[in-house]
Amino acid sequence: MKKKLQIGLTLIIIVMLVLSGCAQNKTGGSNTPKEDTNNTPSNETGNAASLKPYKITLIYPGAVPKDLKLVQDEMSKYLTEKINATIELKPIDWGSWTDKTNLMKISGESFDLIFTAGWFGYGLDVSKGQFVELTDLIAKHGKDIPAILGDDFMKGAQISNKTYGVPTKKEFAQGFGFLLNKELVDKYKFNTEGVKTLEEMEEMFKVIKEKEQGIVPVVSNKFANTWGAANYDSGIISRDSKELKAIDTLEDPKFIDFLKRMRQWNLNGWFDKDVMTSDSSGQAENMMKAGKAFAIGSSLKPGKDKEMSVTMGLPLVQVETALPYTTTGEANGALLSISRTSKDPERAMMFLNMLYTDAKLLNMLDWGIEGTHYVKKADNVIDYPEGVTAETQGYPSPGGWMFGNQFISYLWANEDADKWEQFEKFNESSERSIALGFTFDEAPVKAEKAAVGNVDKEFQMVLNSGAVDDVEGTIAKYKAKRNAAGYQKILEEQQRQLDEWAKANTK
Amino acid sequence: MPVTSRLRSPLIHLFFVLFSIASLFPFILVFMVSISDESSIAQNGYSLIPSKINFASYQFLFNDFGQIARSYGVTILVTLIGTTVSLFITALFAYPLSRKDLPLRRTMSFLLFFTMLFSGGMVPWYITYVTMIGLKNTLFGMIIPNLLLSAFNVLLMRSFFANTIPESIVESGTIDGASELTIFMKLVVPLSAPIMATVALFNLLAYWNDWYNCMLFIDKPDLMNIQYLMTKTLNNVQFLIMKADTSSQVGELLSKMPTEGVRMALAIIGVAPLLVAYPFFQKFYISGITSGAVKG
Repeated sequence: MKKKLQIGLTLIIIVMLVLSGCAQNKTGGSNTPKEDTNNTPSNETGNAASLKPYKITLIYPGAVPKDLKLVQDEMSKYLTEKINATIELKPIDWGSWTDKTNLMKISGESFDLIFTAGWFGYGLDVSKGQFVELTDLIAKHGKDIPAILGDDFMKGAQISNKTYGVPTKKEFAQGFGFLLNKELVDKYKFNTEGVKTLEEMEEMFKVIKEKEQGIVPVVSNKFANTWGAANYDSGIISRDSKELKAIDTLEDPKFIDFLKRMRQWNLNGWFDKDVMTSDSSGQAENMMKAGKAFAIGSSLKPGKDKEMSVTMGLPLVQVETALPYTTTGEANGALLSISRTSKDPERAMMFLNMLYTDAKLLNMLDWGIEGTHYVKKADNVIDYPEGVTAETQGYPSPGGWMFGNQFISYLWANEDADKWEQFEKFNESSERSIALGFTFDEAPVKAEKAAVGNVDKEFQMVLNSGAVDDVEGTIAKYKAKRNAAGYQKILEEQQRQLDEWAKANTK
Repeated sequence: MPVTSRLRSPLIHLFFVLFSIASLFPFILVFMVSISDESSIAQNGYSLIPSKINFASYQFLFNDFGQIARSYGVTILVTLIGTTVSLFITALFAYPLSRKDLPLRRTMSFLLFFTMLFSGGMVPWYITYVTMIGLKNTLFGMIIPNLLLSAFNVLLMRSFFANTIPESIVESGTIDGASELTIFMKLVVPLSAPIMATVALFNLLAYWNDWYNCMLFIDKPDLMNIQYLMTKTLNNVQFLIMKADTSSQVGELLSKMPTEGVRMALAIIGVAPLLVAYPFFQKFYISGITSGAVKG
């Protein structure tokens, strides 16, 4: 008995030691991007044989679909023919994205392409040097990209005049306005064509308030944000200003009038009773779904109302309150960047180039395998195969807006056949901000930013939802508190960076 | 005096009745939301008595039942292995530290205590486990980091051994010619049932509830545990709500996310087994286990 136990314990200890000693040195993650070790391959991607086999890793946010492996294998087959590469798709959940990718970057894990965006840490990652500068690579292996994207958007996604990410070709502007409950629009024969002034919108709300008991005319204070985005670039440059000047919006008469209008809306009883919180709690959307609200503020694009009708489960119609507007935030709304830990940035760029030009490859990534995940109804129109529904599909799309050229991705049978033409028009019709391409680097005023952010929390909601009687007085209080938190310093820093940027762009 | 004593008992009872209700209430609410009809949640918010009962959320989850069953399996396996091994090595570390005649006892205690105060930080910790030991996408990744040996539990056990196991028991074992190992297994462990049960329960809870390791070390759906599956859905929704203002695409993603009811149903499925585990451990919490072992 004694002996047995002793032997057992010794064994356990030995096993433990051995296990901890088995340090597999898996990654040779050198932290410098490799210089071109293989002889530079010819630029024609058709010349697959002259390239060494290589595995490209693509990281993007999203859930792992059931048939990921199938799609990955199919894509690898195709890519082997074209550029002698295989691919590994690595979706990472939205919720874990920040933690996971940060550790991957810091620990020097090797991967090639990663999704990023202005609202998703792009600026921060660039300042940390996580991404490879792409100008030369594009010139060499991504020749088609600039022509497809056009100058405005190559420029718009740059940071201090250097390219660190290639934007997806999608809608490059934002429209602004409301999504309305279509049933009520038809009932009262409202006209939703063209751009509506706020006064015209108020007419509608008035009718709803008077004639529809128990229906909220405007749900949540989301529209205030939409209105702000339609009138200011990055919240500091007025849309109708001709010079690059950072202003304090609280001193802009346009903005003060708007806040007073919101107060009026509140007094008229046009908002829901939980207007302060209904947006963040998801309640606003639920009220729309339940048909208890008439309008909700929203950013718009062509066909947005149709898309949202499907997800909300009731017919909606969109109405614009301002012309579409393009700011840096739109240009860098979705980018693919090449990691500094990539072992073969050249090949990653070849793949990236294919995402803009090769419809077959892009649609595999977007929709899966033809015959299994979708069937073709026409040249570029697809639908679910027999017996497959949105719930049972094995490869729910990761989202075409994240990759390459959305304009060559197939359309679903229930979408407008001319969707991409509409997008083209929409992109062309949009007004470009004079600061397109400027990204504010928060680093020098980080502390002040945080402090001002807290003050904003305190006042913004009440003002946006018109919850206080004395609008001007509240604004004065808001300004005083904000200045105490160091707002002026931020403003000066913004102006300084704007001037620098302007000089670099020789405008 | 008699008045207060007559009053005291009902008051104490009342307090505990209220306390139990307060503890049960959220759980029942979650359950009720999980069986409510989605449209009734949209219209009336959460309510204890759903206006319309609908098991759609559970049906939705059972669509993907393969994944849930697998994740359950992973959680149970990891919890079993982790709890057992962890208890074992905690005891093997704590017992020598409790013996006064151990050489370098102070140094070892200090080293243990040191880890409670200082750590290498997140990044070196991650690099060690991922690039040096290669725990990525293995079950070990959910068993070893952070959970296998808790300094706090070792100290807890050490003080128990030191305070409740009389010296004389160890002495009597030595006199009867027992080896150290026999003394530990035959005398000390049986006398330490309460602390063993306590630490085992701590470990069990820690392993059952852990999703953080899974998030960091696991990419493959086959190896995800049930807690991460749950956290994931919730985190995804929260993250997207946070970002909804800054990107128009995110708003669209948000509307495709699982509904309130589904999230609640997932919580119920995740927590149910633990309710069974608690009563099982309760019988160990009996004091006075050592009385009568030493004749004074």
